[in-house]
Amino acid sequence: MTSAAPFPLNGAEPQSGHRTLWPGGLKWRQARAGYLFLIPLLAGLIVFRFYAFGYNVWLSFTKAGAFGPPRFIGLDNYRRLLSDSQLVVALYNTVKFALIAVPGVVIVSLLCALLMQYRFRGESVFRAIVFLPAVCLPTAIILVFGWLFQTQYGLVNAAIQAMGSSPVSWFGSEAGVTAVVSLIVVYLSFSVPAIILYAGMQDIPSDVYQAAMLDGAGPVHRFFSITLPLLTPSLFFVILTSTIGILKLFDTVYILLPPVDHSVSTNYGLTLVYYYYYLAFVDAGQRGYAAAVSLFLLILILGVSIVLLRLQRRFVHYGEDG
Amino acid sequence: MLIQYRVQRWTYVAVSFVGLLILAPFAWMVSTALMTTAQTLQIPPNIIPSPATLDGTREVFNRLPFAILLYNTVAVSIGRVICTIIICSMAAYALAIIKVPGAKFILLVILALIMVPGDIFIIPSYSIITSMRLTDTLVALALPSLFDVFGVFLLYQFFRGVPKELIEAARIDGASHLRILATIVVPIARSGIISLAILTTLAEWKELLWPIVVNRSIDKMTLGPGLALLRGEYTTDWNVLMAAGVLAALPMVIIFLILQKRFIASFARSGLK
Repeated sequence: MTSAAPFPLNGAEPQSGHRTLWPGGLKWRQARAGYLFLIPLLAGLIVFRFYAFGYNVWLSFTKAGAFGPPRFIGLDNYRRLLSDSQLVVALYNTVKFALIAVPGVVIVSLLCALLMQYRFRGESVFRAIVFLPAVCLPTAIILVFGWLFQTQYGLVNAAIQAMGSSPVSWFGSEAGVTAVVSLIVVYLSFSVPAIILYAGMQDIPSDVYQAAMLDGAGPVHRFFSITLPLLTPSLFFVILTSTIGILKLFDTVYILLPPVDHSVSTNYGLTLVYYYYYLAFVDAGQRGYAAAVSLFLLILILGVSIVLLRLQRRFVHYGEDG
Repeated sequence: MLIQYRVQRWTYVAVSFVGLLILAPFAWMVSTALMTTAQTLQIPPNIIPSPATLDGTREVFNRLPFAILLYNTVAVSIGRVICTIIICSMAAYALAIIKVPGAKFILLVILALIMVPGDIFIIPSYSIITSMRLTDTLVALALPSLFDVFGVFLLYQFFRGVPKELIEAARIDGASHLRILATIVVPIARSGIISLAILTTLAEWKELLWPIVVNRSIDKMTLGPGLALLRGEYTTDWNVLMAAGVLAALPMVIIFLILQKRFIASFARSGLK
């Protein structure tokens, strides 16, 4: 970028320095109108973001139930955080789901994006199908998977039995819950990444491919040495957003393993969000500790984002122009 | 780009395979919805319901105030979309077109807030809504999500593309900012507004955690959490559950099929960061 750009890139920004903002002046009236326009947003953010965050932090230092005022207890909640075996279970499950489902989302969405590149008859039908999971009510999808994997009457176990094996208790074992939850999460979240990767593939210049074909590179070779490296910006975005999404996983495990059951299997699907929801709203009386758990999740999400952003600098190819 | 992607027979094989795999759960949902409860409990299971019946569908209306849930979902979605668009477009106008002093700082705050997931604020938001005495109302479902920082950022990018000359000309003609926003900026940035409307509607349909926290009575629920409650009570009647699932999923699927191009463009824009 040249320092003496003929047009200021950000519009009027450079001028505002040498125009004074006196009340009643033209510039001031403009600005006042602008601030009036910002009031609804800023008021909402102050209440539901900044005040809410401060309140959450304060709550995490108190013992707060569903009734009565919170009582300050210092660092007790954080001490409990360090020795809570349930929290370890929730953290372990959440990280496990992310480690399995994120690669799943990447692979499935990459496959769909590759197929969307072809101009075949019925491609608009295929595209509509790819997006069905993203527009369908998640509750309905989660319930149908719960039904498919139902132990006694489910279709999946019927197929397993037809092949001569014994039925699997999908919701009665850790491996079963992990498999079903990961499958549902991938199913629910591959659609948007598919279109993002597809758009990324459209941006790869075709002369790169033509040059590679002249050199005799086959389709597999082209995919791994051109498409994948040049797609890393989109891939990175997909990995970042789906990782954050899965770290916040709640709906799937809540619907498959409802808290009313109080069964051991709830533990197989206990995620961090599910855990603090349970602490704050099911097992009322632990809202202060729940606030501490939610802050732990916030730090985890921000930490993972920062690590991924750092990795991005090393691995993501942004082309010569920056 | 198109040259090297010649369609071959295996393309059709792969596309059909992936397509059918995605459709399979939907097919099973519809199929089960047309069974009787007895048919769902057959071993080995029948894939095609014979005879097909609407018993399950009828039962949905007995067990669930379905019309109320649908009404709530539509009402909350429309309210949330309208308020979000008004709040976000006004803010984006101030930042992108008026460029108030400090706009850069506010944008930075907005970008930082996009990184912070909303689920973290469930507990304090619940306290705020309680102190406003709004629990168990439809307003409570939408209120905390109206201040959509991503929406502001999305519209900001669209509003920046509005030609300055148009706005200056309108100012000289004495048009107020509100008028310029409504009659010049919004029409030009139409596709951005539509994208925000679609993404907001979908977000509301997918909401689960917040509704079950803030509203306790079924009459004030939306479809997603309403269905989830049905699961807790009647685990065995899968035909009823699936019929409810089909009924609840159908409205959005139909809207999607009509506005397919708009939806896909909006999804692509959600990756705009």
